[in-house]
Amino acid sequence: MSVETQAPQPAGHPLEAPSLEALCQQAKVLAAGLPGTLTRLTVMVGDNRVEVEWQPVTVVAGVAPAASATIEAAEPETGVAVVAPLVGTFYRASGPDAAPFVSEGDLVEAGQQVGIVEAMKIMNAVQADQAGRVAKILVADSDMVEYGQQLMILESADAES
Amino acid sequence: MEKILIANRGEIALRIARACRELGIASVAVYSTADADSAVVRFADEAVQIGPPAVARSYLHIPSIIEAAVKTGADAIHPGYGFLSEDPYFAEICASHDITFIGPTPDVMERMGDKAVARQLMSGAGLPLLPGTIEPVTTADEAQDIADSIGYPVIIKAVAGGGGRGMTVVWRREDLRNSYQLTRATAQAVFKNNAVYIERYLAASRHTEIQIVCDSHGNGIHLGERDCSVQRRHQKLIEEAPSVHLTPELRAEMGSVALKGALSLGYTGAGTMEFLLDDQGQFWFMEMNTRIQVEHPVSELITGIDLIKEQIRVARGERLSHTQDEVKFTGHAIECRINAEDPDRDFAPSAGRLDEFAPPGGPWTRVDSHCFGGWTVSPYYDSLLAKLIVWAPDRAEAIERMDRALTEFRVNGPGMKTTIGFHQRVFAHPVFRSGDFHTDFVDRYMTQK
Repeated sequence: MSVETQAPQPAGHPLEAPSLEALCQQAKVLAAGLPGTLTRLTVMVGDNRVEVEWQPVTVVAGVAPAASATIEAAEPETGVAVVAPLVGTFYRASGPDAAPFVSEGDLVEAGQQVGIVEAMKIMNAVQADQAGRVAKILVADSDMVEYGQQLMILESADAES
Repeated sequence: MEKILIANRGEIALRIARACRELGIASVAVYSTADADSAVVRFADEAVQIGPPAVARSYLHIPSIIEAAVKTGADAIHPGYGFLSEDPYFAEICASHDITFIGPTPDVMERMGDKAVARQLMSGAGLPLLPGTIEPVTTADEAQDIADSIGYPVIIKAVAGGGGRGMTVVWRREDLRNSYQLTRATAQAVFKNNAVYIERYLAASRHTEIQIVCDSHGNGIHLGERDCSVQRRHQKLIEEAPSVHLTPELRAEMGSVALKGALSLGYTGAGTMEFLLDDQGQFWFMEMNTRIQVEHPVSELITGIDLIKEQIRVARGERLSHTQDEVKFTGHAIECRINAEDPDRDFAPSAGRLDEFAPPGGPWTRVDSHCFGGWTVSPYYDSLLAKLIVWAPDRAEAIERMDRALTEFRVNGPGMKTTIGFHQRVFAHPVFRSGDFHTDFVDRYMTQK
């Protein structure tokens, strides 16, 4: 996609050519407001031209855009969140008397079960996508969770804690 | 009924949430990650994120929706249109969780959802049908024999079809076999059911549908007709009421026939009986939609009856708030569907950010829309941006009002194309203005240029 524009002419001076500075300024404004990644930028003073080309981010049906699944507070600077795979009730343990799958400070392997989300009486295992240390558990046992809601934060296992 | 979960998105979800608010009922929105900042999520009393953008894992994912209803304590679900609105299985699951499904019973939905069964039942109730099959056609030879005996053109329809999909018009005998196979394949792919039936195709006819509402006490009313003949590939673009082709007597007759058909099923809730009407004032039953329809505001504007509230009232077990005698038709209403589609590129859908979304206002101008400046139109869902509906004392003034409203409507964004300009061309067209057109209007007058 591309757009071309003329630099604004100062009122009352229709014949005055815009300065390189003015054109550059306009190019910057245009580039900053693009709906996608800038791929080409041309600034010409001779015929007062600014050309901008970009890669649109509007995706074609069927191609998954990056899903934003943040419900609760933003992720801390370090660590990755384990999120709820569906709407339901979060359980930290396999039963009322069982020990929790994980507690804060525990080390987990990739693929290890860290909780359950129960939906329509079906227990869905929640697994850690990667190895790490459980830095914080964000949801209390038996709380309702939404799809994509952050359940706990894992930080890199080799990070000092 | 104290809390209604809205199992839908877009403008209809907002429309339902508004009705809930006016009735003093709490509303719960459910949404996919693509709709996290949508208008209904802001407007509803509660909102639950149920899944990723793909509808199979969000708006069609029954366990997540039921779970959201149970967890939020919703005692009813309004399905809107599309998605799960005509899924009897979903209605059954609601019932098994003591949640009121705002619509007809699963049994009625199931019977009317099968277009061949619906034809049979409505024929039995005395509704006129076009010549065609009652039972699904199972072989190409049989299809050929039937089509030959009906006479061409014929239309092959998927029994599980709906929303204008799964239909093929066959103009010549030599195309029949190919179209039969194609329609079955499409029906299998889209509706997971390859059964089809065949009926005569009426080229010069008008799509005329009757809005009905029935309560659970055996009462029903009709709210007159809507003419939806401005269509493209069986997708409605403009709807209006009343139809200029119905006399009060014909309106009363079609209304009472539609009600008779619905009440014979034990129908409850809002529904629409679709008919084809020819130039001689003869009409034939096509199918019934067992849900609220996109174009319901047209009927609301000429009757003053809020159809969503009426749906909720009858779902609560109340009696209809009007008798047939109290339903008065006043003036003329027209609706334009403003879609994010490019009429110059075969109505290809467009998606992306809306930098500007400035709907029109002014007297008797209604806009039902979930859009706002800064909202991003997702490629995952249908392309309806807004419904623009106007009312005026008569059709001529309604056309002028719509024309004015369309010129006010500004929608802009990177790569965003809409059907606003297309509608303006329709409203400028002498044939549309005359009212004397059929379902082939778009193909015949709007495809050049």
